[in-house]
Amino acid sequence: MSTLEELKQLIHKTFDIDPTTLKADAPLEEYGLDSLSLAELLFAIEEHFNVDLPDTRSSVNTLAGLAQLIDDLRTPKAA
Amino acid sequence: MTRRVVVTGIGLVSPHGDTPGAVFDALMEGRSAIARWTSAGMPPAAVARAAFDVSRWFTRLQLAGVDRVSQIAVAAAELARADAGFEGLDDRSGIYVGTGMGGAAAIDEAFARYAESGRVPPLTVPAFMPNAPAAHIAMRAKVHGPVLTYSIACASSAVAIAEAAKAVAAGDVECALAGGSEALLVPGAIRAWQALQTLASPGSEDPSRACRPFAADRTGLVLGEGAAFLLLEPLDAAKARGARVYAELAGSGVSCDATHLTKPDAAGQVRALVSALRASGLSPADVGYCNAHGTATRAGDVVECEALAQVWGDAIGDLAVSSTKSMHGHLLGAAGALEAAITVLALERGALPPNMHCGPQDPACRVSLVQQPHTEAPQLRAAISNSFAFGGTNAVLVFRRCD
Repeated sequence: MSTLEELKQLIHKTFDIDPTTLKADAPLEEYGLDSLSLAELLFAIEEHFNVDLPDTRSSVNTLAGLAQLIDDLRTPKAA
Repeated sequence: MTRRVVVTGIGLVSPHGDTPGAVFDALMEGRSAIARWTSAGMPPAAVARAAFDVSRWFTRLQLAGVDRVSQIAVAAAELARADAGFEGLDDRSGIYVGTGMGGAAAIDEAFARYAESGRVPPLTVPAFMPNAPAAHIAMRAKVHGPVLTYSIACASSAVAIAEAAKAVAAGDVECALAGGSEALLVPGAIRAWQALQTLASPGSEDPSRACRPFAADRTGLVLGEGAAFLLLEPLDAAKARGARVYAELAGSGVSCDATHLTKPDAAGQVRALVSALRASGLSPADVGYCNAHGTATRAGDVVECEALAQVWGDAIGDLAVSSTKSMHGHLLGAAGALEAAITVLALERGALPPNMHCGPQDPACRVSLVQQPHTEAPQLRAAISNSFAFGGTNAVLVFRRCD
């Protein structure tokens, strides 16, 4: 499963939002997420993907952006 | 300005359900909602849990950072508003909420996760802060007046109701949603209460009988969860809009023992009782029923009976007393509100809910207990509800039939 698809499933599990309605490039606020629910989602992402999101993460506000960030964090850095 | 204040709405999320009439019927039958609770690595306990379908009230997305204590508060407050048929909540309305602990589930989860991994959920603080229930009710009901929280242990919601009634009487607000919420049936909180050596042991007996107020063989209190709210408004306004009036909140009395953090004191309770009677213009002989604090601890029940005997004197035998905690447990910060609702329903129905599970009565508890289910009291005109807190604060609410 792609990271984007996994992310959609996680949002479905966390907030009961239909994954087929989630678009990769739409701002998350469009789905009703506010600053509190976004904080909860980012925590769930860290737990699920076993990553530490950087503090600048609030600039990432689309699913595609989040998926890219997760992939970057999960790719072992070249020596 | 001093206006007469009446109860026109009752909303409950309680161990006996969320329909006031059905809750009162269950209590009149003597049905206990107390059951055994177990968790791995812990001694068993007896608790009274409130069934609650959160999906009726919140979407999953709305639930981010909303502890159970706030969820049930929102539901009970909305049920009270709907029961009153009151549509005009606005900036002239107030919300007065009692809670002892706030968001216990959020605290429990945060501490467990911290111990396990050092990672704590980001919404822990807004979930557990004790004023969250009041804030969530305000957002849901669009109430823009005073939105206040009272955390006074077991007297929290009785004081909240007393303060709300004063605000309505004084004309500070035109309507108040007043009550309380408590939801601490989580392992860490139950373990803390067990450590304090105040909980009834479920033992090997029938756990539904674990709470035995005023009984010779009582062993302690049983924790319960739930939320209860009253809609309070001026009598004249209620009449003008043709509302059903359950009862008048005739007066209240609040005092502090200022003697000991956890040991109750009869003199302090007497001050609250006397001041409540004075505020309501009633004499002891006018009051037919007392919904007792009666937690079923060894010390507490005796002191409450001493206080009642001092105020009622020779007439103590005419005061019918029951602790409905025998059936719904101790809702702590929500106890005063649930028991106020039960007291109001007793007046409206002319019926007295029983003090269950009291076989031989403690000879040191000389009050006239309502021992039998289905006790009718058609002559009942006024009743009181006692709430006596850790910290020494005592609150007494006086209700009177309004007809």
